Amino acid sequence: MEPLRIKATEDTPEIYFDTKEEIFEISNVSLPENAVEFYAPILDWLKRYKLNPNPVTVFNFNIEYLNTASSKQIFELIFLIDKISEGSDITIRWHYDVIDDDMRSLGVRFTHLVKVKFELVEYEKEEEDLDEMNDEGEDWW
Amino acid sequence: MRKKTKRRLKVTYDLFDRVGNDDFEYIYRGVFTQNLTRKILSLAESNLQRFVDKGSLQNRIYFIMVEGLQNVTRPQRDENAVTDEHLGIFAIQKKGNRYLITTGNSIVNSKVELLKEKLEQVSNLDREEIKKLHREIVGTGELSAKGGAGLGLIEMARRSGNKLSFDFEYIDLYWSYFYLQTEIPSRTYGNSAVEDLETSKFMRDMKSLNRILSKRNILLNFNGNFNQNNILSLLSIIKGQMRVSRAAKKVYNIMVEMLQNISKHGNDYQDSDDGNSGIFSLAQTEEEYILSSGNYILNKYVDELREKLELINSLDTSELNEYFNKILLEQITIDPKKTGLGFVDIRLKCNKKVAYDFRKLDDEFSFFTLQTSIQLK
Repeated sequence: MEPLRIKATEDTPEIYFDTKEEIFEISNVSLPENAVEFYAPILDWLKRYKLNPNPVTVFNFNIEYLNTASSKQIFELIFLIDKISEGSDITIRWHYDVIDDDMRSLGVRFTHLVKVKFELVEYEKEEEDLDEMNDEGEDWW
Repeated sequence: MRKKTKRRLKVTYDLFDRVGNDDFEYIYRGVFTQNLTRKILSLAESNLQRFVDKGSLQNRIYFIMVEGLQNVTRPQRDENAVTDEHLGIFAIQKKGNRYLITTGNSIVNSKVELLKEKLEQVSNLDREEIKKLHREIVGTGELSAKGGAGLGLIEMARRSGNKLSFDFEYIDLYWSYFYLQTEIPSRTYGNSAVEDLETSKFMRDMKSLNRILSKRNILLNFNGNFNQNNILSLLSIIKGQMRVSRAAKKVYNIMVEMLQNISKHGNDYQDSDDGNSGIFSLAQTEEEYILSSGNYILNKYVDELREKLELINSLDTSELNEYFNKILLEQITIDPKKTGLGFVDIRLKCNKKVAYDFRKLDDEFSFFTLQTSIQLK
């Protein structure tokens, strides 16, 4: 099956689904205005994957920011993955930043709605370098 | 609803109301860094594109913004030590055919006189004299030659056609607050007496606006068109400016919903595909972050929305979760842009009732204000 690769943009996630390399990952941010449109080809790909899935699949959801329109579509994906898990060994790994209570809650919510193996994976982000302050210098005027 | 909340909802409307329908106003108060400067510029730029063609006017506005921001992006003491009256301010406003760029920052009193002198020196020059002075300084490469005005200031004067105005406000024994406002008219005006009168009016207006924002602890106030582009810029400003914390993360998550709510569901007098008019402000008090938004809504949708908000406010957490799951499990989405999850999501994330208000404006439209808050700790 041909891999599905979509590059991340400022408001849509990176999609990397590759059956040969056994990589199934959604990462970055998902804030599109029209989430249905963005996720339609991904759902299509999964529907075809359902016909002939790998014996073992691990789906990684590693999303930093998510709007509710995307939550709904992500759930559609998970719902479909849940169906695929009836015929093969599938695990979903839901990654979230330790300080992001909302992303954790959403993962917990999904675990209640599906039967597929669902792991919540907490990570701690290294603090990004604080903004470089301006050098002390001449007054501007 | 608490009195304080009510008052704040009204302030949101008042702040929106003072800006004309074709105008915009973008104000940031806080500690300025280079990274923030870049983001502010990109937001201002995308707003300008709606009104100004690429070319000399846009370049002029852009240039003056850069200079103005450099003015406020100077070493500031530890972020936590900066009290409200010392916060820098940057504002870009479109008022009809004019663009106003205002910066403000605190300055030690001992420097006020010298700065005033330089500003007055520049503002007394006519167009030709400024050009000449500019050539001299650029030619000799000598900056701030013996008491003369610096290149930054002269450039601003030159590019704005010398429409600089300034003001100093006394803070205390040691500090004053320095406002610098540049006006860029998009066409030339005839009567200079009228101009002067209006120039001082704009400065007064800005100062009183800053007082309102300061009183309400508002750090970011965006009043204009909400489209996806502007929303992403606003989000990235917030992301860059807030210290990493649970509360900050929540603010971001809720802000996404509030902003997209305006762009997707708001109505507008001008029916455009590219977003809707609205307002968003973020305030920070000692206890909490307060997020406020406002947008037009057609009168015929008011009852439906009010009922929905009443319902959402009346549900407890487990009922809200049930409601949320029900929508998730519904297979068919009628309108791909509407999931119906936004308000439930906001309510769950802030874990308290949302405050809102509808104000009827005319036969067609009302103004809808929404407010939520997040505890800092």
